[in-house]
Amino acid sequence: MKVIELKNLSKIYNPETIPVRAINDVTLSVKEGEFTAIVGPSGCGKTTLLNMIGGLDISSEGSVEVGGVSIQDMNESQLTAFRLQHIGFVFQAYNLIPVFTAKENIEFIMVLQNMDAKTMQERSDDLLDRMGIKNQKNRRPSELSGGQQQRVAVARALAARPKFVLADEPTANLDSGSTEDLLDIMAKLNKEEKITFIFSTHDQRVIDRAKRVITLEDGVIISDEHR
Amino acid sequence: MILSLAWKNIWRSKRRSFVVMSAVAIGVWSIIFMVSFYNSMTGAISRNSLQHDYSHIQIHHEGYLSEPGLGFQVKNPSRLLEFSSQISDIEATTGRLIVNGMVASPKTNLGIQVYAIDPANEAAVTDLPSFIIAGDYFINIKRNPILLSQKLAEKLKVKVRSKVVITVQDLEANIRAGAFRVSGIFHSKSPRINNGVIYLRHEDLSKLINLPDTAFNEFAYLLKDNESLIETKQMMEAKTNNMVRTYREIAPEFDMIEEGSAISKQVITVIVMLALLFGIINTMLMAVLERTKEIGMLRAIGMFKRKIFLMIVLETFMISLVSAPVGLMAGFLTNVYFEKNGGMDLSQYAGALEQYGGDAIFYPQIAQSTYLLLMLVVMMTALIGAIYPAIKAVNLKPLEAIRKL
Ligand SMILES: Nc1ncnc2c1ncn2[C@@H]1O[C@H](COP(=O)(O)OP(=O)(O)OP(=O)(O)O)[C@@H](O)[C@H]1O
Ligand SMILES: [Mg+2]
Repeated sequence: MKVIELKNLSKIYNPETIPVRAINDVTLSVKEGEFTAIVGPSGCGKTTLLNMIGGLDISSEGSVEVGGVSIQDMNESQLTAFRLQHIGFVFQAYNLIPVFTAKENIEFIMVLQNMDAKTMQERSDDLLDRMGIKNQKNRRPSELSGGQQQRVAVARALAARPKFVLADEPTANLDSGSTEDLLDIMAKLNKEEKITFIFSTHDQRVIDRAKRVITLEDGVIISDEHR
Repeated sequence: MILSLAWKNIWRSKRRSFVVMSAVAIGVWSIIFMVSFYNSMTGAISRNSLQHDYSHIQIHHEGYLSEPGLGFQVKNPSRLLEFSSQISDIEATTGRLIVNGMVASPKTNLGIQVYAIDPANEAAVTDLPSFIIAGDYFINIKRNPILLSQKLAEKLKVKVRSKVVITVQDLEANIRAGAFRVSGIFHSKSPRINNGVIYLRHEDLSKLINLPDTAFNEFAYLLKDNESLIETKQMMEAKTNNMVRTYREIAPEFDMIEEGSAISKQVITVIVMLALLFGIINTMLMAVLERTKEIGMLRAIGMFKRKIFLMIVLETFMISLVSAPVGLMAGFLTNVYFEKNGGMDLSQYAGALEQYGGDAIFYPQIAQSTYLLLMLVVMMTALIGAIYPAIKAVNLKPLEAIRKL
């Protein structure tokens, strides 16, 4: 089943002044259970593409369908609801609420979804366990390592039971050990629970772990490799 | 959980929150203090002129208003004296014969109002003997004793036992002069009395101007309490064809003082609240700008605008919810302190205060409801102060906020 369907997607920044065609006529679909890396040099349009898929940005041309629903014409509040219900986000940094503990950060998104307290409790405990950060659950982000913080972010993204997880350079701030750990967890979740991951990266070791690698250059897909 | 988030956010920048909380607490405290102070001052002014000058109710001939003097004496004075025994709310009654005149000493002479009184009745109504600061209350001078205020005594350069000459006109406009001797010098709490009233015995004045012992042009009544003021007035009106007026009708300044004090209190409150408002807006704006990325992240993961708005409003609200009671408590304790320790001594400024009929000791006075009202006002201020920062927070674009990673 297709979770993402992009058709002739383009994004033009500053159309009035100095137009920048950050994404140029991209057509692409992502199926459930994929473990896909978007790669390419800096400025090639990875973040722009992910933002449009995630409903954080509006495309200039073309269409975006997520789970069969076009998000093209949604208003701001509909997009917010859409992101909350269907998409898990992991950013490069500043993922977590600094005043909340790891556990509270995971539970917060479920509170936003109005999940009942019992399910929430079970889910956060389970996720903490699976991410291997059970012992750190009462620590605040500042008391966690970068790798642990990103694992909390992944747990938070999953807590919302999204259709897929979007991760923009999730390992950019991590050392190689933590990068490996995070990828192990993501790969395991993908393999065992069929969770769809789409992430962008520069890092060759991360690219090596991906099952599909989409390479962008100047906003255009120059290769799409399944392995 | 948003509540908990807002609460925790307050303590992120402890120093900043502490500063704005202190400002709120100090602002609230200062308003409590000012309001208590105003109440104390205006309360004293009103109380003093009520107790020591106007009394609760006065009776005159209806013509007396347009032409004060001997011409319009009260009708049936003996009945008016009997009211004391007929109306239970009356504490004391005094009759006066008031006439304009001159007092002369060897040094100078001054225009004054002569109050011819019955010493015992006057004492019961206005507590005049308690203000005697030199000499005594009509005791040691056997013939024609007189009481002068300290102020007049100084102007006339006379002392106790000095002789002064009082000149008045009788009913036929003949000038009558009599020699009097200063029995006592008083310092009343009523500026009006200090400035131009002298007291002598009713019998001495009636002899001087050939009027009967029963000639009065003013009766003053002290009531047991203020509650029954209107009722008592109506009872009196039913029993006499003279003009009966309450102190509020006699002296519009009572209302003016109250209104003026209410306005002053409101102005002070508004000024303090405006200062707090800007402090709150500034603090919350800083708190929002500092968290641009975090708020962008929250928007990105699906937190609705209205919840972001709510979060900022709650933060602002809780800041004042924590600090306002501290200020209220401080204000309350300050008042308790002054009550326990005999008030705040303002005798340094006694001169100025007494000019307006105030007291030199400040006894804080505040209605319980003021605390509640002030709490509400602070909450309102916080709410208003939260709006602009909250709008700022809501309008942060998740994308742009995150781009700044
Ligand atoms: N808000 C914007 N306004 C104008 N141009 C923009 C804006 N955002 C991105 N761009 C431009 O669009 C292009 C693609 O940017 P994008 O951030 O998507 O690249 P990227 O592949 O994520 O790069 P990096 O690897 O550095 O994160 C770049 O040329 C960038 O300068
Ligand atoms: Mg990028």
